[in-house]
Amino acid sequence: MGRAYIVTGYRTAVGKAGKGGFRFYRPDDLAANVVKHIMSKVPQLDKERIDDVIVGNATPEAEQGLNIGRMISLMGLDTVKVPGMTVNRYCSSGLETIAIATAKIEAGMANCIIAGGVESMSVMAMGGWRIVPNPAVGKKNPNWYWGMGLTAEAVAKDFKVSREDQDAFALQSHEKAIAAIKSGRFEDDIVPIDVKHIFLDENEKRQEKIYTVDTDEGPRSSNLEGLSRLRPVFANGGSVTAGNSSQTSDGAAFCLVMSEDMVNELGLEPIARLASYSVVGVEPKIMGVGPIDAIPKAIAAAGLKQNDISLVELNEAFASQSLAVIRETGLNPDIINVNGGAIALGHPLGCTGAKLTVQIMNELKKRDEKYGVVTMCIGTGQGAAGVIEML
Amino acid sequence: MNRHIRKVAIIGSGVMGSRIACHFANIGCEVELLDIVPSELNGPEKKKEVSIDSDQFKNRIVNEALTSSLNSNPSPIYRKSFASRIRTGNLTDDLARIKDCDWIIEVVIERLDIKQQVFENIEKHRTPGTLITTNTSGIPINLMLEGRSNDFKKHFCGSHFFNPPRYLQLLEIIPSEETDSEVIDFLMDYGQRFLGKKTVFCKDTPAFIANRVGVYSIMSLFHAVEEMGLTVEEVDKLSGPILGRPKSATFRTCDVVGLDTLVHVANGLEDNCPDDEEKELFKLPDYISKMVENGWLGSKTNQGFYKKVKDENGKSEILTLDLNTLEYRKKARVKFPTLDMAKPIDDLKTRTKMLFMGMDKAGEFYRKLFGGLFAYVSNRLPEITDDLYKIDDALKAGFGWELGPFETWDILGLDQGLKMIDGENKKAAAWVSEMKETGIKSFYKTEKGVKYFYNVSCKAYIPIPGGEEIVSLEVLRSENKVWGNSDTTIVDIGDGILNLEFHTKMNTIGGGVIEGIQKALTLAETEYKGLVISNTGQNFSAGANVGMIFMMAIEQDYDELNFAIKTFQETMMRVRYSNIPVVVAPHNMALGGGCEISLHADKVVAHAELYMGLVEFGVGLIPGGGGTKEFAKRLSDEYVAGDIKINRMRERFLTIGQAKVSTSAYEAFDLGYLREGIDEIVVSREYQLTRAKESCLKMANKGYVAPKREKNITLMGQEGLGIVYVGANTMFSGNYMSEHDLLISEKLGFVLCGGDLSQNETVSEQYVLDLERKAFLELCQEKKTLERLESIVKKGKILRN
Repeated sequence: MGRAYIVTGYRTAVGKAGKGGFRFYRPDDLAANVVKHIMSKVPQLDKERIDDVIVGNATPEAEQGLNIGRMISLMGLDTVKVPGMTVNRYCSSGLETIAIATAKIEAGMANCIIAGGVESMSVMAMGGWRIVPNPAVGKKNPNWYWGMGLTAEAVAKDFKVSREDQDAFALQSHEKAIAAIKSGRFEDDIVPIDVKHIFLDENEKRQEKIYTVDTDEGPRSSNLEGLSRLRPVFANGGSVTAGNSSQTSDGAAFCLVMSEDMVNELGLEPIARLASYSVVGVEPKIMGVGPIDAIPKAIAAAGLKQNDISLVELNEAFASQSLAVIRETGLNPDIINVNGGAIALGHPLGCTGAKLTVQIMNELKKRDEKYGVVTMCIGTGQGAAGVIEML
Repeated sequence: MNRHIRKVAIIGSGVMGSRIACHFANIGCEVELLDIVPSELNGPEKKKEVSIDSDQFKNRIVNEALTSSLNSNPSPIYRKSFASRIRTGNLTDDLARIKDCDWIIEVVIERLDIKQQVFENIEKHRTPGTLITTNTSGIPINLMLEGRSNDFKKHFCGSHFFNPPRYLQLLEIIPSEETDSEVIDFLMDYGQRFLGKKTVFCKDTPAFIANRVGVYSIMSLFHAVEEMGLTVEEVDKLSGPILGRPKSATFRTCDVVGLDTLVHVANGLEDNCPDDEEKELFKLPDYISKMVENGWLGSKTNQGFYKKVKDENGKSEILTLDLNTLEYRKKARVKFPTLDMAKPIDDLKTRTKMLFMGMDKAGEFYRKLFGGLFAYVSNRLPEITDDLYKIDDALKAGFGWELGPFETWDILGLDQGLKMIDGENKKAAAWVSEMKETGIKSFYKTEKGVKYFYNVSCKAYIPIPGGEEIVSLEVLRSENKVWGNSDTTIVDIGDGILNLEFHTKMNTIGGGVIEGIQKALTLAETEYKGLVISNTGQNFSAGANVGMIFMMAIEQDYDELNFAIKTFQETMMRVRYSNIPVVVAPHNMALGGGCEISLHADKVVAHAELYMGLVEFGVGLIPGGGGTKEFAKRLSDEYVAGDIKINRMRERFLTIGQAKVSTSAYEAFDLGYLREGIDEIVVSREYQLTRAKESCLKMANKGYVAPKREKNITLMGQEGLGIVYVGANTMFSGNYMSEHDLLISEKLGFVLCGGDLSQNETVSEQYVLDLERKAFLELCQEKKTLERLESIVKKGKILRN
């Protein structure tokens, strides 16, 4: 069997949930626009030759329900011939789909798949609208259902990550992100989205306005003093604040994954491949440490060593878990999140894995480096990591 | 002409202005709150390059004042969202907004020239016929008329609110020589009926009624303290709740009000009352002058008669000012045999008699103070008012005294009061001896449900006006009592309606009250048409008698305890299912069991000041008198088709789990203690029982049929239980609650979900009551619950364990 390649990949800018440019923009529309953009970049591809659209989503209900994957296929490709499915592994969903696409293609089950993820945290409540834990589990192992903030507190405590370190890490994330935006570092990633806003003015007269969202909304100029004044939000006397946690966000990102044969046939120049992908299980109570096991597993699976890796996109769910991962893995902090992370740029759950893949491919390309790792912790005690190999 | 007040303009947004605005918003009025444009940009505005033409700059004073009021504690507003009824603006651009206002109230700085200027400007925009009043506390109303049109003068008078206007009951209405009587009549009634105030008609004399007598009383106390060598804490002990006055008593009140304010009024009185026989008393004693000089004005300067400091461990401590040395020292314990004897007596009238008989310094203090006060108030007739009851009303409503001077005098007896006056070498007014000579021995009397006062000019009793419409237990109690035990009294309040009142300490509910409720229901079912449950205590009810529960629990008398809880539950169910309408009319605190009674009424007619909550968590329990059951029932009633039940359940769960207490009757609706479309709010405490009786009678006359007992509570079972366990564990793991709280939460959730049923089931109230009682009893066997109960019983404090 031949190899699977990532031909191209794009993402939307990431909006601030609830108040940003995508606050009322439906996730199916958001994703369909990225799919359309990808198709416009590969004119030689007959859309009906696409085998599947695989969409990662962490809360597949309400606007994101009704098998949003299939909806995005229909809406984005404008044909009934291409199927679609939705995949949920919480925060790694967007990378999981690329892995599934790669595996299917390399197993000969498909030739061409659009894979990625989407999440609107504006339209969805965290965890969904109707949370119904199993009472027996809730009684015996309540931490399996803990909110992520509480697990971040547990990581801070178990791995002795101080409030000061978390705040300093958060500040850095913002500084790096602002510098990246200023220097146009994300311009190759982003599909600008035109948003139509229909609203009532002060006289309750219907108005329409169209604006374009093309810049990540999360980064803000901050300072340590301001960050240190924020109160812990998940535990009384804790250290995890809104300032040193990832932001809730809206966003979509997709890659076009294709078999070697088809790439050759269409005369395309792929940019990268997913060389390996590994997922691990850890204690749900400290889910944030998932990458500690996942990263070496993925690097080994790719037949590499840690020092072969030039860049890492470590999803900053929380500063506490990011720092614990960096310290425990011994990764070089200078290669991690060089353009800022989710604390500044936002974390649209099911989209994140694909979004970080798009980001790392463009950054590796700019730096002319070979290997990068995309990694994240995952709710209920998991970690994922994937090695991106530039071609 | 029928006047309707829909829109009110408040000119001046200081502490009083913005809070008066809030109170009008409370009752549903639209409010224009206006103040001056600042003289220049401030620092932050300069930094942000705010334009001097922007509203942000021009309305800064009014916006900051309103925000600060809205954030103050206790809140001036019944419900946060009511603040949207207030629109702010400035006097330069927006004065024309007063054009369509129905009432304009001036609350600007107390300077005649400024007020006159404001009135001149107002006159340019005011629509003729619009009410216009001033909230002055010292400037004569008549001086403000100069230069005004006839229409203005006819519709102008004083309307003196007391701070904080939401909470203090008094509203003095002071006509000028030219005010139309229609205006005065309207305001007297409106203040009472709509604003819930006690309106008192005053003459245009210095400081009107309440401050004239109130400040006299404080000043005479300032002097007495020196003469008798009493300390600050002694005086506050003697002149506080023991005497039926607020907890802040004398000196603490001065600290809150601000010594400068008090001195301002006293100076005004000294200057403007040359004929006052006690004007010497308005001169400041040395220590007061010294304090003013030092800037020790009270809370606003962080020190006054008291000073809050932090000790070396960072613990707060309140020091007291030694009036001799003018140095702050540690608070000393106050001990007087008279106080020890009086303290156990709950009835204020009996207690007051005891206080005045005291042979120690305390007794001497009371006789001295009141000898002077009795003489002073008698001599204020007819100077400040023609009717003695207005002095009592003003002091009670404006200073929070439970008894006015003449009422206190009646308790002690006319002769005893006269003796006290003699003892102080003072003289009562001549009309008092005239009254005595005609054989009349008291200032008030009650006959056939009507309260009379002695009218000095007629030299006879006449009814207190306005009483016709008001159903008052104070008036009816003595003649219309139907039944009573030590804890309750049942009074026939006319038209076939009974009222049951509690009169235990804090109106807690124990065996006696339960017996009273049962008796009242039986009586009403057999011989009357309906029952109202209300009382005249400070609070409606602080809840079940925790002491009793603690005793049974500590003695492990669980059968007895089970029986007691069951009886409580059954009594609540009788309230719900009796053959007559039951209206509960709670005011102020209605906690725990006091809340549960309300939850079971056919209708609640609540006073707007209602602090209602199921607070059993604090003592390590869950509501056991049907409160948890009622929440399960209301939760079930709230479900609509396709509802996400679990989210609604969470809200109800948290209301009990966090022991949420409403800060007003409106919030009680928001918290689900009161029911939209069924329960009602009355702003006027005075009219509350009247309205409750009307509601009860209306239900009875319409043809009251007791609700049928049904199986209609849908419980979630296991569907809801998971989130209970996880939610509670999350709170515990996040250090927001203790392990014991976790246990209580799980038990609460278990009852609300109806236990571990595999699927939703629809059950009877009895099924939930049994679950509720079982959980309550289980908690009573927990050591930590016992510790919490013990703490509240012995120390009156909530223990967090």
